[in-house]
Amino acid sequence: MKNVGFIIKKHLLTGISYMIPLIVASGICIALAQIFGGINVAENEGTLPYFLSQIGGWGMSLVVPLIAGAIAMSISDRPGLAPGLIIGFIANEIGTGFIGGIIGGFLVGYAVIFIKKYIRLPKSMEGLMPIMIIPVLATVICGLLMITLIGQPIAAFQNTTLNWLQSMEGGSNFILGSILGAMASFDFGGPVNKTMSLFADGLLVDGVYGPQAVKFIGSMVPPFGIALSFLFTRYKYTKMERETLKAAVPMGICMITEGVIPIAARDIIRVVASCSLGAAVGGGLSMSLGVGSTVPHGGLLVVPLMIHPLYFLMCLGIGSLVTGVTLSLWKPAIKAEEENMVEEEENDMEPELIDIEFKRGAQ
Amino acid sequence: MKIVGVAACTAGIAHTYLAKEKIVEASKKAGHQVKIETQGTIGTEDELTEEEIKEADVVIIAADISISNRDRFENKVVLQIPTHVAMKSPKALIKKIEEEINTTA
Repeated sequence: MKNVGFIIKKHLLTGISYMIPLIVASGICIALAQIFGGINVAENEGTLPYFLSQIGGWGMSLVVPLIAGAIAMSISDRPGLAPGLIIGFIANEIGTGFIGGIIGGFLVGYAVIFIKKYIRLPKSMEGLMPIMIIPVLATVICGLLMITLIGQPIAAFQNTTLNWLQSMEGGSNFILGSILGAMASFDFGGPVNKTMSLFADGLLVDGVYGPQAVKFIGSMVPPFGIALSFLFTRYKYTKMERETLKAAVPMGICMITEGVIPIAARDIIRVVASCSLGAAVGGGLSMSLGVGSTVPHGGLLVVPLMIHPLYFLMCLGIGSLVTGVTLSLWKPAIKAEEENMVEEEENDMEPELIDIEFKRGAQ
Repeated sequence: MKIVGVAACTAGIAHTYLAKEKIVEASKKAGHQVKIETQGTIGTEDELTEEEIKEADVVIIAADISISNRDRFENKVVLQIPTHVAMKSPKALIKKIEEEINTTA
């Protein structure tokens, strides 16, 4: 079944969509606490930064339970939520981190569907299904599985990864940063970018802040880099693209990359390659310099909350400059017919559209 | 033809609204009536009414995530696509719908 990938992605993305505001709220509380309370904020009991750090810390500890609950709910509707939250909490407690939460969510979701399908009660007792049978069975089965079989290897894997990331230095840091940066900018907010985001968000929950800053750089280099290239060589851009940039740059400031898609669409290889190159340079530098972010979203507005904000701006600037210069040198001057084109034509149809099926009735 | 639909994406701040815009633009250009509900992070906006769903010939669900209240579309012709398909090929999408509706009607 070729739909399996799509379905899994859908549930995963649903989980993430519920999680983003939670990480943003908690991350900003932690960042504010560190700015006003210093590194030792956790020791200054009773101060405002101390309370903020507590709020943020408690909020962060909800991330794994929430993503498990949201994925389970996406798969099996309401009955999945409660057991999903419990399994997610267990995953968090035994140290599986984010990955455990995701796997736990899928486990619960399909367990609930399985229970719904195969356990049949007499009509008079059907009311027991949603309030007792499903939550208790799903929780007991998945909880035991998580604690014993599934959780341990994930926790071990998580530990190894974290140790490896924390022990990395110099060159390997640069390489990891480059790869992550290039991934983050590669498809302007598409699936590759989201995969990278997921990796960075997962590490953020575990207290590794470097990749998160790389995510910012990768998401903001495309709009700023293209804008720089436009300033260098105006004659290589159409009127339409000029208008597009007027929206894309403010969007970029808020860390929304999608604004540049129309510009990339006309010249996909050059734009994608230049943006990825700039983001790779910026991301590599950022990881090497120890820049980090406890906040997962917010663009330039949250830069003051970062670890080494000035270095961050420098990396972002260098990355954008690399993109801008590369693109300006590489891009050909526009031809007359392109300038006259009122709107972008869709020449090639999305291949996925060809074999998408219509369905009758709710699925 | 009357088209209704729901758009929803992961972050719920950009793709959702771009997909909506593209579908509405392409549908209007092809002379169809259209209304797209958005389920962003801010919540549901431009919610479809029961009436609109009842009258619609086709339901487009342009979503990367599970949408809420899907059961409203029971017994409707439903087309489910990821948001990027709606953003990249809106015209081809509408054309495909026209073909489908005309052959089955």
